[in-house]
Amino acid sequence: MFKTIKEVLRTGNATVKYPFAPLERPQDVRGKPEHNHVKCMVCSACAVACPPNAIQTPLDMREGTKTWSINYGRCVFCGRCEEVCPSKAIRLGTEFELAVMTKEDMEELCVYHLQACTQCGSHFAPAKQVAYVARILAQGKDTNTAAQKLEYAKVCPKCKQKYDVQRLMEQSKEEGEWLC
Amino acid sequence: MAVLIDHEYPSRLQYKLDRITLDESIIKAKSALLNSIKRSVYLYRIDCGGCNGCEIEIFSTITPVFDAERFGIKNTPSPRHADILIYTGSLTRSMRMPALRAWQGAPDPKLVVSYGACGCTGGIFHDNYCVWGGTDQLFPVDVYVPGCPPTPAQTIYGFAMALGLLEQKLQRSTSAELPGELAPLPFEAIPYKVRTAIERKARVLSGYRSGKDMSNEFMAALESGGEDALISIQALISEASDPRKREVLTELKTELCALTASMEACYEQQ
Repeated sequence: MFKTIKEVLRTGNATVKYPFAPLERPQDVRGKPEHNHVKCMVCSACAVACPPNAIQTPLDMREGTKTWSINYGRCVFCGRCEEVCPSKAIRLGTEFELAVMTKEDMEELCVYHLQACTQCGSHFAPAKQVAYVARILAQGKDTNTAAQKLEYAKVCPKCKQKYDVQRLMEQSKEEGEWLC
Repeated sequence: MAVLIDHEYPSRLQYKLDRITLDESIIKAKSALLNSIKRSVYLYRIDCGGCNGCEIEIFSTITPVFDAERFGIKNTPSPRHADILIYTGSLTRSMRMPALRAWQGAPDPKLVVSYGACGCTGGIFHDNYCVWGGTDQLFPVDVYVPGCPPTPAQTIYGFAMALGLLEQKLQRSTSAELPGELAPLPFEAIPYKVRTAIERKARVLSGYRSGKDMSNEFMAALESGGEDALISIQALISEASDPRKREVLTELKTELCALTASMEACYEQQ
């Protein structure tokens, strides 16, 4: 009897204090994916990578918006979104207390605007993504080129094609030979 | 929310049971029970087409480390003794009748818990032909416990929330981009090619997560160092206590030197 009590006192209590005290978790545990909506530029890389389609980025061309949305109820916490994110906007945190009473609470949405083409006015890509790409292209150059690059980036691919063809025709006219 | 992948077969070919609705009296009894629950609760677990990961986690919740039995939560082998029904799995067509029989077998008032990503929304199987997509397609669900599978701590949190010990943390959030908001360019002073080359090297050496962390530290030292960038990088390397981290950072430094040497050669040619 005494031996048993001694053994019990020696081993101590194995049970964790949670939920009455916060639970200690390792730093790199795969918890809730934390989305930083300022860093995010809705490139949809995470939505393409997401195995259960928990992250979706539906487009609304009429409104000119792209919505980044995640459903934590569908998420399998694999970390693929973190792996593919080019702007380091998503990272799996240590948060694990995700249980909810209503299904709607598991969803998180963030609405982003699309860039309207400066020539034809149609939406073609998220405005943040366009600005990001233009700034990377103009990195290390003087500010004039950056502004030019941004202006050129705000033109949709169709208008760019049209512009290229026009410029080519003018060029060939000047040179006196026709492209057929 | 529009579903990305839609079923393409006609819905009339799929027989679907109607969702069960509760009587007023049962709802009242349930809320009365939850408000002043002074007894232990028994739970019964129904696997409706999952991978058994959830079952393993439920049983590790009962182990001495997490010990769900200290709250009086006990696993029972019959739904007739159960107060809480735990549905795991994505609710497949062939499991609809057993699921329904267990629900009808449990005495009222009972709590229904949707357990795991599959139980909540169908999870990774949500677009399968025989999957109904979650317990809530058939029963009124009280608590959703997401996770694939939910860890014992997540499970205990779910129970604690159902029994009113803890508050719900996660709330539906809708935010919008601010006008003129720009995504920050990481390490603007470092040329894009150098940055991506270092990031790639770090990723190859130690994976996407710690590789990202280490390349971030490396480039922060590079950017803050200015003229003496190599000295600050060397300081970072000697500070690191983990030999693996030292190794990766040294490799990155070699990569950086090779890159800058090749760039200088390019400039000289021009």
